[in-house]
Amino acid sequence: MDAMTTPVRRGDVYEALAAPVVILVGHFGSGKSEIALNLGLGFRARGEKVSVVDLDVVKPYFRCRQAREELEANGIRLVAPEGENAHADLPIILPAVRHLLRHGDGKVLMDVGGDPVGARALGSLSDAVVMDRTEHLVVLNFFRPYTETVGEAVEMVRAIEAAARLPVTGLISNTHLLSETTPEIVLDGLEMADETAGRLRLPIVAAVADETTARGLVEDALPCPLLVLKRVIRPPFEGTRQQRKVGPLFVLN
Amino acid sequence: MAKKLMKGCEAIGEAAIKAGCKLFFGYPITPQNEIPEYMAHRLPQVGGTFVQAESEVAASNMIYGAAGSGERVFTSSSSPGISLMQEGISYIAGSELPVVIVNIMRAGPGLGGILPSQSDYFQATKGGGHGDYRLLVLAPWSVQEAADLMQDAFDLADYYRNPVMVLGDGLIGQMMEPVEFKAERTPCKPLPPKAWVATGCSGDRPTNIINSLFLDPEVLERHNQKLKAKYDLMVRDEVRCASYGTDRPYEVLVVAYGTVARVCSTALDDLREDGVGAALFRPITLFPFPYAELRAAAENARAVLVVELSTGQMIEDVRLALEGSRPIHFLGRQGGMLISPEAVSERVSAISAGLPEEVRHG
Repeated sequence: MDAMTTPVRRGDVYEALAAPVVILVGHFGSGKSEIALNLGLGFRARGEKVSVVDLDVVKPYFRCRQAREELEANGIRLVAPEGENAHADLPIILPAVRHLLRHGDGKVLMDVGGDPVGARALGSLSDAVVMDRTEHLVVLNFFRPYTETVGEAVEMVRAIEAAARLPVTGLISNTHLLSETTPEIVLDGLEMADETAGRLRLPIVAAVADETTARGLVEDALPCPLLVLKRVIRPPFEGTRQQRKVGPLFVLN
Repeated sequence: MAKKLMKGCEAIGEAAIKAGCKLFFGYPITPQNEIPEYMAHRLPQVGGTFVQAESEVAASNMIYGAAGSGERVFTSSSSPGISLMQEGISYIAGSELPVVIVNIMRAGPGLGGILPSQSDYFQATKGGGHGDYRLLVLAPWSVQEAADLMQDAFDLADYYRNPVMVLGDGLIGQMMEPVEFKAERTPCKPLPPKAWVATGCSGDRPTNIINSLFLDPEVLERHNQKLKAKYDLMVRDEVRCASYGTDRPYEVLVVAYGTVARVCSTALDDLREDGVGAALFRPITLFPFPYAELRAAAENARAVLVVELSTGQMIEDVRLALEGSRPIHFLGRQGGMLISPEAVSERVSAISAGLPEEVRHG
């Protein structure tokens, strides 16, 4: 594909995501939790009332619920199992989730578990989703296994739609290699996301880059809004001393 | 794209594929389910076979049978599942079969919890199952190292005809890092054809029998001594360890393995800024344990600090290495709680300032 030909929405990522409910799906490890947390903090900083829903029933570690303190300190409601159930690998769906989908409450950001398997939890809630005010977005990182090619990404999107029983409304391009990410990696990933979007007739809603990489990108030249991401959930040995002291820092405990 | 962004579990799975492993038998348990999931996805693509066993007991006996064919085979589980496999592992060691076993440790005992732990050190290094046998145990500290050691594990298992364990805490299995697989890889040991396999011989050669039953005590004793001779060779030839910060003067030597060593290395960077002299010694093979190398590294230090996600299982090997030559301190968390770089820094600073505490047994 020579140029970005699919319909994209330029401008501010927060304006692009105007729908009251934003549901993030995708392969596990594609970046859904980090994007949900960053968007949550971003919308909150813009004065919105925000709820982050952790619907990850697939992976046991590195879930939104591990950022509970950080979210609550910022006045964001975290909807996730509490107490010892927070650490369970059980398919727990809180009643509040259905209520939020149906009736809304400010901005709702939902982090769904990875793969079609994780999206099945969303499928059980699909009757409560009002599509007119919902974005259902697939996060893509072409450096992850299972979504290394456009063909695999297309397959992943279709399988998630089937399991979630909801149409996907757009893509978020999040191709990166953690600390080894370069602007070229982001742009190459964006091009593959564009091809995927073209095949699926979906828009790319946003591209994602960490702060360092974003400095090497010319934002105006991008075909879609850019979300500059600060990693919230990290292994305990990562990050500078300052980051570890003041947060947002992760930690399993 | 040469590198991939992989979870430790996925990297372990891909490493097995790259090492020519065609067979996986296992049973799901958190936090290592991504390994069987990955193998179920990948093995059919390379003409291999994935079977979800009805239990870990069954899985350990399936790898026993499969290894007898000479094909490369592995299983993976997490702590409680590894306990269930001990009978099979003992039989595999007794029958001198090459298999690779991955344990992504969670907190115990019993069902415990699903968060990271290192509380299976004793089980991995001192037995687990019955009888006089040893596992060669490799402990990676990064996703890349998990991928590399997993490939070596198959070579070591074939070379020694002995089970090899890759021992990671839950964090290694679940965290993501960039990983690279070399296009061409040379085995880490010379590997002759497997003349012992039980694949049928049509009378062309004497029958190969794979067995761990030796009713004649003299024969069994000879077998035990043959196994012991292999373990002695491992001790002589297979010790692996690494150090961090030993090129500068240090007062305190921190000893840790796996991701805990990563946490300690971060702490050492902080301590260096503060002007506190400390270094890290990291065993990569837990059996054979790097006794001599640790003793040598400790000679430059005033005291040794062992850091583990357990109540202190590696301390016993550290004591054997040091033979009372240095005071030993311990810092540990259990239950799935992690150790922060700050906790390590704080303890090292206290030891550096003259903290008298010393680990005592009995």
